Amino acid sequence: MIELANVCKCFNAGQSNEFLAVNDVSLTVNRGELTILKGPSGSGKTSLLSLVGCMGRPTSGRIRLRGIRTTFMPTDSADPVIDISSLPERFLTEIRRTAFGFIFQQFNLVRGITALENIMLPTYPTGESHAACRKRGEELLELFGIARHSGSRVEWLSGGELQRVAIARALINDPAVIIADEPTAHLDSRLSREFMELIGSFKSEGKTVIIASHDPIVCEHPLADRIIEMRDGRVVADGRS
Amino acid sequence: MLKNLERHWNIIDFAISSMLRRKTKNLSLTLLYTLIIFVIASLIFFVQSIKHEAASLLTESPDIIVQRLMAGRHDLIPTAYMEKVAGIRGVSDVTPRLWGYYYDPVFGANYTVMAHDDDKTTNGQIAVGQGVARNQRINEGDLITLRSAGGHPLLMTISRVMPQQSELVSADLLLMSAADFRTMFNFPPDAATDLAITVANQRELVTIAGKIAEILPDTRPILKSEILRTYDSIFDWRGGMMVIILAMAIIAFVIFAWDKASGLSAEERREIGILKSIGWETSDILFLKFWEGIVVSLTAFLFGTILAYGHVFIFSAPLLAQAMKGWSVLYPEFHLTPQIDVYQLSILFFLTVLPYTVATIIPSWLAATVDADTAMRS
Amino acid sequence: MLQHPAIIALTGASILICAMVLYAGGYGIRILRRWDLSSGSEAQLSLERRTYLISVIIGYALFFQVLSLFLYIYTADSLHPLFVGAMCAAGSLNAVPFGYAVLVLKTVNCLLAGSWLIMNAVDGKGYDYPLIRPKYALLLLLAMLISLETALQITYFGSLKADVITSCCGSLFSGGNRSIAGELAGAPVLPTMLAFGFCLAACMTSGVVFLRSGKGGYLFSLSGSLFFLAAVTSLVSFISLYFYELPSHHCPFCILQKEYGHIGYALYASLLGGEISSLGVGLLAPFRDRPSMMEIIPRVQRKLTIAAIAFFALFTGIAVVRACTTSFTLGVFG
Repeated sequence: MIELANVCKCFNAGQSNEFLAVNDVSLTVNRGELTILKGPSGSGKTSLLSLVGCMGRPTSGRIRLRGIRTTFMPTDSADPVIDISSLPERFLTEIRRTAFGFIFQQFNLVRGITALENIMLPTYPTGESHAACRKRGEELLELFGIARHSGSRVEWLSGGELQRVAIARALINDPAVIIADEPTAHLDSRLSREFMELIGSFKSEGKTVIIASHDPIVCEHPLADRIIEMRDGRVVADGRS
Repeated sequence: MLKNLERHWNIIDFAISSMLRRKTKNLSLTLLYTLIIFVIASLIFFVQSIKHEAASLLTESPDIIVQRLMAGRHDLIPTAYMEKVAGIRGVSDVTPRLWGYYYDPVFGANYTVMAHDDDKTTNGQIAVGQGVARNQRINEGDLITLRSAGGHPLLMTISRVMPQQSELVSADLLLMSAADFRTMFNFPPDAATDLAITVANQRELVTIAGKIAEILPDTRPILKSEILRTYDSIFDWRGGMMVIILAMAIIAFVIFAWDKASGLSAEERREIGILKSIGWETSDILFLKFWEGIVVSLTAFLFGTILAYGHVFIFSAPLLAQAMKGWSVLYPEFHLTPQIDVYQLSILFFLTVLPYTVATIIPSWLAATVDADTAMRS
Repeated sequence: MLQHPAIIALTGASILICAMVLYAGGYGIRILRRWDLSSGSEAQLSLERRTYLISVIIGYALFFQVLSLFLYIYTADSLHPLFVGAMCAAGSLNAVPFGYAVLVLKTVNCLLAGSWLIMNAVDGKGYDYPLIRPKYALLLLLAMLISLETALQITYFGSLKADVITSCCGSLFSGGNRSIAGELAGAPVLPTMLAFGFCLAACMTSGVVFLRSGKGGYLFSLSGSLFFLAAVTSLVSFISLYFYELPSHHCPFCILQKEYGHIGYALYASLLGGEISSLGVGLLAPFRDRPSMMEIIPRVQRKLTIAAIAFFALFTGIAVVRACTTSFTLGVFG
């Protein structure tokens, strides 16, 4: 579903602190699977995640998406393929908005606004009717059992509640792919296991999930289909469990 | 189309909430912006209004004034010249004018003295302007002493004090009979200060002025339109000088605005990074910054203009008066009539909102082009 | 140099706009030389980010340029008492050289900036920046013309001195004078009316043909520009007469004033809007075969065509309504 071919990501090219975050990576992420990216910090997991999640362009190499339809490249094929390596930012963002949902390590919620507003933020630039988005947001809050916090500022919520708001935000546009970067880093064991259960429910809905983590609760979870190990920007192990 | 509107509406909503979350920064910027607009708007309104006052006053002024020159300086004009001028075709009236200046050493003030003969004027009586009355603390019925050219004191009774509405022209005026005038200044009986000419057809002003200069080569005819033009130029010049001086203030404000716009706090940068990571793209953030700028500009423009209106038209511009009215001991007190139009507001707009907007273009863009994946790296 | 606040404002604005556009033009050159969409290098990404800045700059530049066009005319008008013989803006503009040149350049730059924004909007809709090179070539042209306009405007205002005798619009716009404005008014009414009618018909017809069949975009664009020129000529030659109700008052600036209900703004705004739209149709036509543009350009061209027809119809409508409702007649129709 997401194909990477000889992808490199280089920072500060030509300068003394030139740094190759992703070094010649080729892999294919399959639809409907839970893929785990494992590796120490600085191994390039985060850069690879951002490339896979249409957050940036590779310095070289090609990235192709299968099975995702876009409004700007209409096609009759049943299994459309888009090469996103040279897409301008506007189109990349459109794909990302509709097909990908992100859960960050630090939750990355906007302080000073309510939980519901945070969840609705990704829909603002789409021009969809405010009322419809609000309804979806409230449904998600209901689904995660935090409907009573819909009007609360995020500063007042606990770690677990923040986690659920962050997940709800990732789901507001009903994405096909969920990407999570160290999602359990700030959670205790109980909450981490709850999180993995939620991931299980996404998988059963047919969503593709990619998680970067070195937490054993995540990596050794029975739901994980594939574990990719990275070191120094390269893939050193790619196994199925 | 509707989608676009909805998108903008959402972004405006977020912009306002975002600005309210950073009250101190935005408040200081808006206050300073309002101050700048207030100062420049006051200036523009004041100049425009004074020009208008001068123009409406001068409608009553004679079409042509003929003055005699002696060695390049203004000298008395012989009344014999009147006949020659009256003989020119197109001249409907020639009136001699008697006026001059009187310096009062006691109060250190210069008064304008004019001879005015109508049924109400009698010898020994003068009408004074409000400024004179205030200066000398005198009223109707009081007696004042004027010093004549011959050195003798002249005792005059105040017959009336001129009304407040006429202050702009009459503040420093003393009106007396022609006989008193000639006595006071030892004025020769066959001369006048200048001649006031009324012309039947306005289109012939230049031609007639030319003829006057021809037949009376030692005189200079001054056209009303020339006076108006000169006043306009002076007020424009004064206004322009002030604007140039204020340019320094505008530049300082612009640098301040640039700095505020560039100085994204860590919190703001984080917020924009988050927005980009969840699907806002650069144009959305640019619009966010755009609407923030509009809110600030409109608020400052509205309040600055309203305050300036009050300052100039209700309080008569105490802060600007000194520079604009010239140096004198006697100041007329007068209320300016409100004279605002779209033209002035657009000049104001160009002098204030344009520089602010240009200064914030690049900082806004820098903010908007924060990479989407910075949120992942924090 | 007249230190009139309006002149300071206009000069300052011109310099700022010129600086912004030159800055954008500088990056335009870089983009023309180094653009390579298929590369993911940081240099390319930085260039792509820079294109947003340029769009914002030109957007603001157009907005302020249109405002400054009207402010320029208004300032020339308010300065007319300072020049003997000048009865309105026409006199001030004629007082020293370059007055009219600046006006023409300002108008041209408005048209160019508007066309650039249309091209830019269409370019952004394509997934491979298909119009990037022609767009930035146009930008360079715009940068040069705006610099020229700023230089001439400073020269014009700098050489203005009050009290200079100038021909007022009464004698400037009557047939005797040899200057270009004299020729406009001297254009005999009947042939100009016929030319106006003909250009209007040609423009509308080619527009409808283009909307239906998708063919003839260039023709429509050309006829739109011809109509623009015919409309300006007609405005001076006979349309303005209906507003002034005087057979000899041909000045195109007095209709902007309060006495005439500021109707001039509506007339000129509709002409500008119509011309920018029709120019856009022609500018986009060469690129409609590019793969990413095959659906987008025809759609945008249709919208622009409708807009142009609407604007030109508005202009004509205002003129016709006025001609019919006023009691003044030119005696052309008996």
